[in-house]
Amino acid sequence: MSASPDDRRIVFADVSKFYGEVLGVNRVNLSIPPGITSLVGPNGSGKTTLMNLMVGLLRPTQGRIRVLGMSPERPEELFPHLGYSTQYDAFPRGLTGWQFIAGYLRVHGIGRDEAEALTSRALERVNLTEAAPRKVAGYSKGMRQRIKLAQAIAHQPSVLILDEPLNGLDPMARAEVIGLLTELAAGGLHILVSSHILHEVDRISDQVILLNGGYVVAEGHIEGVREEMESHPIQIAVRCSRPSLLASRVFEQDHVVEVKIDDDGGGLLVRTKDADRFYLLLNDVVVESGLTIESVAPNDADVQAVYQYLIEGNAGGRS
Amino acid sequence: MSVSNPAASPALPANAGSGSRHSWGLWRRQVAAILRLEIRKSFLGKRAFGLYFLALMPVIILGLKAVVPGGVHDAADLSEAKMTFAITYQAFLLRLVIFFGCVEIFGNLIRREMLDRSLHYYFLAPVRREVLAAAKYLTGLIVSYSLFGASTLATFALAYGPHSGLELFFLHGPGFAHLMAYLAVTFLACLGYGAVFLTFGFFFKSPAIPAVVVFGWEAINFLLPPVLKKISIIYYLQALCPVHLSEGPFALLADATSPWLAVPGLFVVTAALLAISAWKVRRMEISYEED
Repeated sequence: MSASPDDRRIVFADVSKFYGEVLGVNRVNLSIPPGITSLVGPNGSGKTTLMNLMVGLLRPTQGRIRVLGMSPERPEELFPHLGYSTQYDAFPRGLTGWQFIAGYLRVHGIGRDEAEALTSRALERVNLTEAAPRKVAGYSKGMRQRIKLAQAIAHQPSVLILDEPLNGLDPMARAEVIGLLTELAAGGLHILVSSHILHEVDRISDQVILLNGGYVVAEGHIEGVREEMESHPIQIAVRCSRPSLLASRVFEQDHVVEVKIDDDGGGLLVRTKDADRFYLLLNDVVVESGLTIESVAPNDADVQAVYQYLIEGNAGGRS
Repeated sequence: MSVSNPAASPALPANAGSGSRHSWGLWRRQVAAILRLEIRKSFLGKRAFGLYFLALMPVIILGLKAVVPGGVHDAADLSEAKMTFAITYQAFLLRLVIFFGCVEIFGNLIRREMLDRSLHYYFLAPVRREVLAAAKYLTGLIVSYSLFGASTLATFALAYGPHSGLELFFLHGPGFAHLMAYLAVTFLACLGYGAVFLTFGFFFKSPAIPAVVVFGWEAINFLLPPVLKKISIIYYLQALCPVHLSEGPFALLADATSPWLAVPGLFVVTAALLAISAWKVRRMEISYEED
């Protein structure tokens, strides 16, 4: 029997979640392929709600969710294949790192020897082997993040969901976790990451889902998301001498939406619908007037810019 | 990039295929794993000390009675020991110690983990929620019966210990049967009250208020008409005690319930409450922010 294409994806079909009268997420339609997918959005945008719906910690008010063809309402079928590191910085009382991982592996029904082997491997992958005999309550924030990650990957799931996994990690640990996620994704896993550390998300993501106010604002490959922005003005920050001269020249152009001179008078911010034409104009102005350019920084170079445009620039709107 | 086949997750136990994931063997292993985690927490956690003290209270009281001069009036009179224990057990151990012990143990099996924000670790494991509820209940039963069974035993020993003729009473009289009956009543009390307060734990943010209401209902049971008496746990438990105490001049009398009705009745009520808990846990959402 051949598998349906949905059996290889995480699918949200017209999913809404309301907490009483408060909107969690509204009319979400997604089909998430393998690889690393980032959920990006400001606090309260619905990232955690979406993740909790995916694993059945919350039930949708309406709509249907399937994770690799499985329903989140059947934990006994779903969770052998799914690991979830939540944002909750809380642990069962009194357990050491080792007991925490091994104990919950046994709840899967896994035998002692295999659980111990898997525990050992998971702790090794997050570099917590030495701290394993210590109580989790005594761990630092970064160690607690890593032990949660170890618990999520210990049973070697096909889908890994991580809610703000880089929070509280020092730069070295962040690099290690990012390396681990990349390695896991290369092994064919679905990895869904939420984060507000956008430049790091940008580095590791195959695709991105932008959320705001409970709505999916945009989704797809980062390049695809940028294409969605074509109808939106792009911001370019220019640091230069005589910014008022440049401002007067660019403001004559029909593709320029807004020009704002920096408060310190050392540059300007241009919003344009056609970046290529703006760059050509900038070259002309430099040649004609001898303007000195310190820097030109298009703000749409990464997810951060996409995020700012699509979420902050269109607060509450849906593209 | 390819997707790994879910059925090929390497960590699955060998017999955990689609059919066997619902097998008794898997459920038994999962229940055992949950018991290992929960029992350690229940016996060694800080909150356990309150329960130890509660279970020790009747032991301390009868211990003092045994050592204080004049505490035992007639060492040769075993009926005095029988009444002393019957009153201590039915008025204090059963109605207060076991009742409030079960409120604390069973009422917090789910609620405590909601407050600690750690319940989701169980909900994210491939265990049927009903199996989780059953394992939690079993944890409560083991903890409560260990504590209050031991308390019953120790209190019984202290009630009878100062008296003479014990060998005759236990080996050739009703002593051993009484002890077994009281231990059985303690078990049934943990079973019944445990199911009540586990269920309350799913429906109420704090089990204390409904517990006080139930306590009041159980306390006035002797004043209730026969039909209402039967809607309680204490009515059946008292009927099973080997020594029947007078309920006072204001009590409304009712026919004593046969053990053949009381015991199955308690099991049926327990099963019904556990079914409600299982239904509730299956539909339960975790949103700690609301708590």
